[in-house]
Amino acid sequence: MTAPPTVTASGLALHHRGVRAVDGVSLELGRGVTGLLGPNGAGKTTLLRILATATPPDSGALSVLGHDPGTVRGRREARRALGYLPQDPGFHAGFTAFEFVDYVAVLKELTDRRTRHAEVRRVLDAVGLAEVRGRRIRRLSGGMRQRVALAAALLGDPAFLVLDEPTVGLDPEQRIRFRELVAEAGEGRTVLLSTHQTEDVAMLCGRVLVMDRGRVRFDGTPAELTAAARGRVWSSAARSPGVLAGFRTGSGEFRNIGDPPAGAALLEPTLEDGYLLALDGAGAVTA
Amino acid sequence: MSADRQDRWHLPADDLEEYARGALEAPRLWSADAHLAACPACRDRLNGLVDPAVADLGWARLDAELDAPRPGPLERVLVRAGVADHTARLLAATPLLRRSWLGAVAVVLLCAVAAGRAVRGTGEPLLLLGVAPLLPLAGVAFSFGPRLDPMYETAVVAPLHSFRLLMVRTAAVLAVTVPLSGLAALALPSFGPDAFGWLLPALALTAAGLALTPRLGPVAASALVGGGWVALLVAERLLSDARPLPLTAAGQLTAAALAAAAGALLFALRDRFDSGRVHDSVRPLTAGRLT
Repeated sequence: MTAPPTVTASGLALHHRGVRAVDGVSLELGRGVTGLLGPNGAGKTTLLRILATATPPDSGALSVLGHDPGTVRGRREARRALGYLPQDPGFHAGFTAFEFVDYVAVLKELTDRRTRHAEVRRVLDAVGLAEVRGRRIRRLSGGMRQRVALAAALLGDPAFLVLDEPTVGLDPEQRIRFRELVAEAGEGRTVLLSTHQTEDVAMLCGRVLVMDRGRVRFDGTPAELTAAARGRVWSSAARSPGVLAGFRTGSGEFRNIGDPPAGAALLEPTLEDGYLLALDGAGAVTA
Repeated sequence: MSADRQDRWHLPADDLEEYARGALEAPRLWSADAHLAACPACRDRLNGLVDPAVADLGWARLDAELDAPRPGPLERVLVRAGVADHTARLLAATPLLRRSWLGAVAVVLLCAVAAGRAVRGTGEPLLLLGVAPLLPLAGVAFSFGPRLDPMYETAVVAPLHSFRLLMVRTAAVLAVTVPLSGLAALALPSFGPDAFGWLLPALALTAAGLALTPRLGPVAASALVGGGWVALLVAERLLSDARPLPLTAAGQLTAAALAAAAGALLFALRDRFDSGRVHDSVRPLTAGRLT
């Protein structure tokens, strides 16, 4: 018997200044890490904010762990089971890492001081910030700040974790460290991770959604997204006209993505190729 | 040497028993934590009071307590004044309670008093009457909202009802600005009942600004209400030499009625603050974030 989905959404839509930021999204999310890929303006953040109960949709139905965020009580219950790392987590720069996480813990209704402090210490340990918990946030690096924000999202061991582009602005080493943390966080809970990085998805996610212009254009596994580009990536000695994307590689050959000419030397596709094709052919690529 | 010092004082038996039960409250709790960390004798006494498993849990908690940074001066004052420590933490994150804001409020009031002393004309504290109601209005606007609270996004998705957070912060802002304005009133040369004529308008403007916030956002709502107040005072001065309307009995009653009506409207709209529907006209919620 499979567990019931953590999140069920149907027909979610939100307009913003006449633009359909989210345009009829229906999905179910279960345990594990799901990646959400899409270009700027695709509606990823808006969708995440709706699922994280930060903003209500104009229309559509949403259930988070069986609760309806459209009601006061349902919203409170859903939020008790939710951890959210916003795209641009704000900090009171004068707070220390401990004080910041402690403040979020109060917002998460951990009122007993001792229990709260033990929980704050637990999450700061979990993200590897035990040594700097007394340091002011303004003195922490960007990577450390992201980890502080992740620690705050992990308070109370939430069943549903929403992470909005957590690896933006991190150097490669920090990104790898952050991926480890997200992979750990994904064990036993539902994680929705928005990202620009196809590598994040390839390494972390059992499922990937591709979003463009407010709609989900692809829903499947990373392997399926990659496989969808099979037969549509080829190499050539000269630039091919009319391709979706083409660039000269280090070997001097052109790598082309699109509809290959007859007899083209086909290449093994990557997840990025599948992603580009999913964006190009709205509806043409399905799992 | 430190051992000698510890010999002189130990935790009272009552405190130790409450500590063992987990019932000791701050600030005595902080004192007990600090003492237990340094005093083996009291640790042994504590071990005698609880079973070993509970004691181990207690030491783990004590470790966490010792790692926790000491609260700032504001939080310590609030806790000593009887505010629950978690509420004190919420208040510590109120932008208006930061030093720069307090300084700005104090400067504005000093200017109002200085101007009142320089212009010894009608004897009516017009400048203070005009300025004092704007301070809590601006303070509350700068304490809440997607644009001005750096942690708005985190706060709005937390289970703590956002209206409660807003009220905690509003109370904090009023608790700072009203006494400061009161001190300014005392310093006026024309001290008398009129020197406190700003109080009811201050409550009315603050409540009205908050009641309009879900629709207009905190900045536009405060600008509208504050602009209306200034326009009313200026127009009234231009048209009449009589006693300023807000200082008359009718004016004060109107302010009280407006405060009550806006308060009732605000309460009716409380869930709008929690649902993420607060609009910010200066930087809408999702502007620049539609990624």
